[in-house]
Order: sequence, then structure tokens, then C-alpha cells
Amino acid sequence: MSIYILGILFSIAFLVAVMDLMRRRLLLEQYSLFWLGMAIVILLLSIFHDSLNRMAAAVGIIYAPSLLFLVGFLFMLGTMLHLTVVLSRLTTRTVRLTQEVAILRAELEQREVVAHRDPYEKLGEEVAR
Amino acid sequence: MKDALVIIPALNEERSVANVIDSILSAASDVDIVVISDGSTDRTATVARKAGAFVIELPVNLGIGGAMQTGYRFARDNGYAFAVQIDADGQHDPADLPKLLAHARNGEADMILGSRYIEKTAYRSSRSRRVGMLLLAVLVRLAVGYPIKDTTSGYRVVNRRVIELFSTSYPYDYPEVEVLVLLHRHKLRVLEVPVEMKERQAGSSSITMFKSAYYMLKVSLAILLEVLRGRRVEKGARL
Repeated sequence: MSIYILGILFSIAFLVAVMDLMRRRLLLEQYSLFWLGMAIVILLLSIFHDSLNRMAAAVGIIYAPSLLFLVGFLFMLGTMLHLTVVLSRLTTRTVRLTQEVAILRAELEQREVVAHRDPYEKLGEEVAR
Repeated sequence: MKDALVIIPALNEERSVANVIDSILSAASDVDIVVISDGSTDRTATVARKAGAFVIELPVNLGIGGAMQTGYRFARDNGYAFAVQIDADGQHDPADLPKLLAHARNGEADMILGSRYIEKTAYRSSRSRRVGMLLLAVLVRLAVGYPIKDTTSGYRVVNRRVIELFSTSYPYDYPEVEVLVLLHRHKLRVLEVPVEMKERQAGSSSITMFKSAYYMLKVSLAILLEVLRGRRVEKGARL
């Protein structure tokens, strides 16, 4: 089996994997569109593998795969930067939620203690001050 | 309800937290105390409750910035006019608290900073530590335009405006120095007042050689970023 066929099979497998993740709702829509686009670009490149040679020649690159590496590398760099931005936003939200939950729980527990003050309840001492 | 809230962030401090609460209550009776247990695995929360503090237990560890901010949010939600920040390891003397609070109540500044360096106090530290402190003081001076000598002191009293600011923006880790520039950026004033600083009662400083270098780098970067943000309203991934 030639590397050409292997490339196409791999691209199809990738596309199927992405669609399966979408089907099972494991990817948010905004990200699934992105990966779907990626999968299609990879598939097209492996079917029309000559297009890469022509694109490389057009921008003056002799060894065509280096164009692929360059574009792929820049793309990954951008993706990772975007992901850390998303991660930072999630961290901020998690921290905020943790704070809110902790404050609410502390206030709720105190209210319960006030409502049925129980001499055997240790927390009662804290409210009695 | 009192008008001032003392916020004590505590991570596994069951041995010292009761002492700190006791000495605060005996030095200043006109304050409420909240202990933020930052995911402690020992009896910090129980001990603090027994000693007479309101305790908020964070379900996971958020680090010093996240824990402090929990206290500021609690202060904001419950309408406190002043908030006090004091370390749970016994380094800060609560006997100075009435003095610091008086400066805040007089409206002399938005943040009153308990400082070790303004007057001659018994506090001594190592040479490398002093060099680091000096460097930070120079950086802060450049950033805010007036001298603040003890930039890393964690003994602070703030007013309502600062409570509201900290409820929405507070640095994640190593907040002390960065906060000074943050306040300047929001046109809030800082006043240094001399306090007595004791040796820590339990444990040793967590700062090692490598950590010191990281600390200096992180804080310098934070100051630079604060300056770059300029004096305008921000929106972004801060706490």
C-alpha cells in the first residue's frame, strides 16, 4: 500500500473520529467546527497531494513538505495560545464559583444553627458570641 | 454587626490560628473575624470556630489570592466599611490594629499599610532578603511615583472602595506588591504606618532560593503588566 493511500485513510479516520466526538456531544460546537475544518483540509491535501507541491513552488519553497511543517507548526502555536486563554478563563470562573459556594455554605450553616439552636450542636457556640 | 472585618486566610494552621484570633479579639473588640480555610486538611476550621471566628471553608485549595478575595467578597456582601488583612502565623502584632484602624477611619488613605521599615523596629532580616525588598521598593516607586518602603507587608487595612475593587480584581499569587500598583491605577491612596513585627511563631518562611528568584521575576512582571494596563477600566481573566 502506498503512502498516498495511507494518507487518505488516515485523513478519513481523523474525520470520522471528529464527527463521532460531535455526535456524542463531547466537543462543543465552536470547537467541533474548527476540527471539522482541520479534518477536511487534511483530507483534501492527501487526495490532491500535488497541490502542496504547486503551493510550495508558488512561494519559493523547494522542499514542499517544509511548507506543510511551517503552516502546521504556526497553526498549532496559535491553537495552543488560544487554548491557554480558554483555560485561564475557565480557571477564573472556577475560582469565582468556589468562592461563592464556600460563602453561601458558611452562611447557610450559620442560619441553620440559629434556626434550631441545639445545645449539643458544636456550631452553636460560634453563633452565641 | 461591627464596621470592620478581619480576614485571616489559613491553610493547615490549627496550632496558631486560635492564638491569632484570641489576641485580635483582646486587642480590638470592635471587629468581626472571618477565617478562610483554604482547603485545610487539619482542624483549622473547628479550632477557629471555637475561638470565635466566622469560618468559610473553601472546598478546594485556591491559593492565597483566591482565599483573600473570598474574604473581600464576604466583606462586600455584608456591608463592612473596613477590611483588615493579617497573617495567621503570628508575625503581625494585633496590638497595632487599633492604630491602623484609626488611620483608616480618619480617611487618611484608602489602604493603611503596616510597615516594618518606617521607624526603627526590632525587625531584622537577611542581606539577600533586604536586597530583594529594596529592588521591589524601587520598582514600585517607579510604577506609582511615590515611595512605599515595605512593599511586601501583609498587614493591611482597607476601606469600602478597596473592598469593592478587590472583590472583582485580586492577583492569584504573591498579591502584596502587585496590589499596590493596582490601587495606584485605580487612583486609590496608600499610607504607611510603622508597626512592630515579631518572629514567626510556628513554621519557617516558605521562600527558598529558587522560589525567591521566581518570586522576584513574577512580581516584577506583574508590576510591568499593571503599568501597561494603564489607568482605564479593564475586562479580562483576573480573579
